[in-house]
Amino acid sequence: MIDFVWLTLIKATPVIYAALGGVLSERSGVINIGLEGMIAIGAFTGVCVSYATGNAQAGAAAGVLAGALLGALLGIAATRFRVEQIVAGTGINLIALGGAAYGLVVVFGQPGASKQVAALGTGGETAMVVAALVLAVLLHLFLFRTRGGLHVRACGENPRAAEVAGIDPLRVRLWATATGGAFAALGGVFLAMAELDLYSDGMSAGRGFIALAAVIFGRWNPLGATGAALFFGAFSALQYTLQRSGIPSELMQALPYVAALVALAGFAGRARAPAADGIPYVPVR
Amino acid sequence: MESRGPVGLVHQHFELVDRLTVWENVLLGREPRRGWRIDVAAARAQVNELAARHGLAVDPDALVETLPIGIKQRVELLRELEREPAILLLDEPTAVLAPSEIASFFATIVALARRGTAIMVVTHKLAEVIAYASTVSVMRAGKIVAQMQTAQTSVQALAQAMVGGELPPLAQRAATPNAAEPALRARRLSARSEADAIEEFDLEIAPGEIVGIAGVEGNGQTALADALAGTIPHDGTLELRGSRGTIPQDRQREGLVLDWTIAENVLLGRQRSPAFHKGPQIDRGASVAFAQEIIEQFDVRPPRPQAPMRGLSGGNQQKVVVGRALAGEPAFVLAYQPTRGIDVGAAALVQSRLIEARNAGSAILLVSFELDELFALADRIVVLFRGRIAGTFAREGFDRGRIGALMAGGS
Amino acid sequence: MSATASRDAAIALAIVVVFGSVAMLVAGVSPLDGFAALLIGALGSSQEIAETLVATTSLLFPALGVTLAFRAGLFNIGAEGQLIAGGLVAGLLGERLAGPAIVAIPLLLAAGALGGGVWGALAGLLRARFAANEVIATLMLNIIAALLAGYLIGGHETTPLPPSSWLPALIPDTRLTIALLLALALAFVLRWVLRATVIGYELRAAGDAPETARRAGIDLAKTAFWTMAASGAFAGLGGATIVTGVLHRFNLALSPGYGFIAIAVALVGELDPLLVTVAAFVFGILQNGAIGMQAAANVPRDVVTAIEGAIILVLSGRRAFKR
Repeated sequence: MIDFVWLTLIKATPVIYAALGGVLSERSGVINIGLEGMIAIGAFTGVCVSYATGNAQAGAAAGVLAGALLGALLGIAATRFRVEQIVAGTGINLIALGGAAYGLVVVFGQPGASKQVAALGTGGETAMVVAALVLAVLLHLFLFRTRGGLHVRACGENPRAAEVAGIDPLRVRLWATATGGAFAALGGVFLAMAELDLYSDGMSAGRGFIALAAVIFGRWNPLGATGAALFFGAFSALQYTLQRSGIPSELMQALPYVAALVALAGFAGRARAPAADGIPYVPVR
Repeated sequence: MESRGPVGLVHQHFELVDRLTVWENVLLGREPRRGWRIDVAAARAQVNELAARHGLAVDPDALVETLPIGIKQRVELLRELEREPAILLLDEPTAVLAPSEIASFFATIVALARRGTAIMVVTHKLAEVIAYASTVSVMRAGKIVAQMQTAQTSVQALAQAMVGGELPPLAQRAATPNAAEPALRARRLSARSEADAIEEFDLEIAPGEIVGIAGVEGNGQTALADALAGTIPHDGTLELRGSRGTIPQDRQREGLVLDWTIAENVLLGRQRSPAFHKGPQIDRGASVAFAQEIIEQFDVRPPRPQAPMRGLSGGNQQKVVVGRALAGEPAFVLAYQPTRGIDVGAAALVQSRLIEARNAGSAILLVSFELDELFALADRIVVLFRGRIAGTFAREGFDRGRIGALMAGGS
Repeated sequence: MSATASRDAAIALAIVVVFGSVAMLVAGVSPLDGFAALLIGALGSSQEIAETLVATTSLLFPALGVTLAFRAGLFNIGAEGQLIAGGLVAGLLGERLAGPAIVAIPLLLAAGALGGGVWGALAGLLRARFAANEVIATLMLNIIAALLAGYLIGGHETTPLPPSSWLPALIPDTRLTIALLLALALAFVLRWVLRATVIGYELRAAGDAPETARRAGIDLAKTAFWTMAASGAFAGLGGATIVTGVLHRFNLALSPGYGFIAIAVALVGELDPLLVTVAAFVFGILQNGAIGMQAAANVPRDVVTAIEGAIILVLSGRRAFKR
């Protein structure tokens, strides 16, 4: 039982990080389909820098920074260039996944997977699991108790009203999307450097997409999204627990995705996205 | 533009965050802080104090989306007042208020002006200008064409200045035909839109009759119109003899595809009618000819069926919408604010065409927030209050005072 | 070609040149050599041109599907899963089916279209019935399709199809088949449907102004469902042509992300089926040239995926995609 709970937490942690990133950016009005790519780029950059410096912490920091930059790229596209965010996010994913695959060959001289690098270890793994839960609480407090959080929510609901009140919605959205990218990259760092000690192609395995479902399922609320991520994590954990039961592994692997799909169908009607979520804003000034 | 101090602006369409509370909206960007977090108690007190000072009572913790439209305006006003503006701009502030609320609203505004705030009101309600303003400027086509002291002018003089001469007279009303059967009959109709609701609404409209719906916005007009247009579900019975033409509330969002041409737009709603397709294919010739017909009848500019809708002025866009709705002599026409936000010339044309449609035998339901428009066009006025009929007036018995009282919930 | 389309093409070309050059320099290759290798790899011989057209074909089917969905305002990000579903059905049926080509081939293609159509319709159903966001639904269905395929074939690939089920080659001794002609024909049909028919009119209305469309008597839910089904059928048909024409079996690696690249193809083609066809050829050059570039100049071919992503990102601001 304890094993199952711990495994659930491990499986949920990358999704929690990415979902928190998604909550932050969507609360500001930017839909981030690129979470998947941000997980990958965080994982890949972290492994590369750890490989180059031999310092796992430096790698982790670099991974987070890379996620923030990719988030900023989406943020700039969404604010300055007013792109269709869903399409743009799909582009972000290809950039990150293709870029990482290319980078594997350039940096490690081999396709498919990197060499093993200095990683964060079991202590790091535990710390990052706890940190994900702490981050969820902090993000909740930020969004619902602080001025900055109120401003983020105002931008996601009615950016014009926010602008009338003297807030710069484009800046808030850019900042929220970049920070959200950093959060998602933490999920990638966890995958590659806490659970494992290498990057391999396809490592993100749709966790960014599951995170998007968790955002909806959690009603754009950090604690709700964390709960949803844990729910999906439990299905992932179940697949290990049931491995000896004779159910084919592919079907077990599909469980969290099917669960997300069913949850989406059962829940979508009742969930209400921030009113300006995904809609480009043209400032008055 | 120069001003000593900030300029406050109260929009006709409110700029409020619906899913935040009143205090969050009023103090947005200026929230009091204690340590790292917002000092909610102080914020609440601040809003209460502000509300008391201006006589604009609100519940600081209410969610804005749950408030009636008049209170929302109060919230918007408080937000601007909190910034202690030197100049306060109000855009059509009384459009959403009942006649009785208007007086107390202006009492607040006049009190503000006495305390030294410059107030500028953009409005087309000329009687209010004469009653409350000290000076007035008349704008036409983006230019100021007249400036005067209200004490030295009159509603008639202002109207003349606005139009820039005399408007062509409206089409003549033909004698009301005697119809055996109503074209539209609604019995105990109940429906709920996103904005409002109607309950157990009874209505009959005869061929050749215009029924005007009077009421303050938000008292069921949207639900009534959408139920009659068949775009929301309803309880009760609704019988319609013949075809239906609709002039929707929001022409750009509900009536047009702005990226398309005029010829493509006039086809909307008729795309499956045999006159406009040959087999699976759209009959382009027919749609262009139809567009040409509307363009000529309504003097649409530019007069090209292939002109993209987005490039047309609001008035010309509305002419296309109205032309499409009235084409083919529909048995029933639903006209929701058919002249909202368009220039006076286009408005007069639209009103005349509605009367002509009536003369030709269409039954018309006219929703308008302008009593003047209802008085000019309607054969009968039904007053709507909180989703129910508060009173019915035949044309001979139109009474501004009584209708206004019923709109505000009086008896 | 419209001014917007030529500007988009110029932007896409600039991205290819700039990003490609940087990627080549980082990999220690002169961009001149790199691009030469890419072009030779794509167009250097009739054999290579045929392979480029194979990639073009495989991209064109899902790109037409994406075009259709986007025109109706539906963000079908699931062409990849729909392509796999179509290929899977064709592969599973194909390995069990022995019959004359005239029966087997149409049957397998129809089965593929049906498979992809059902996979698309699933997302359409979730949206029409439960108001579920089609973006997330299609993303989930992509992953589920891949896992389901792995389970159903119980390995990496199916057994080969009998030669009677192979698509006839257009050029002997190449993998280029009549699938190319089928795709081209479908591009013309789709263009006609979108521009000239009542169904196309209603579909574009639903995409361009949903509330107006609803009030004009167009059933948005029904439109969404059938559009997603048809969009999926295009991709599924593409999967079936890969199975019957290129690999002659279903293979878990049958798509190097065609369903995602198709979004870039549709975008560069301004959602106009004929321009999309031109764009598919350009992306076919990129896809096939990347293999030559990797072999001859040692630049990892995955860089092409990243470049395609950059094209999507930059073109996602085009007017055609504003809701």
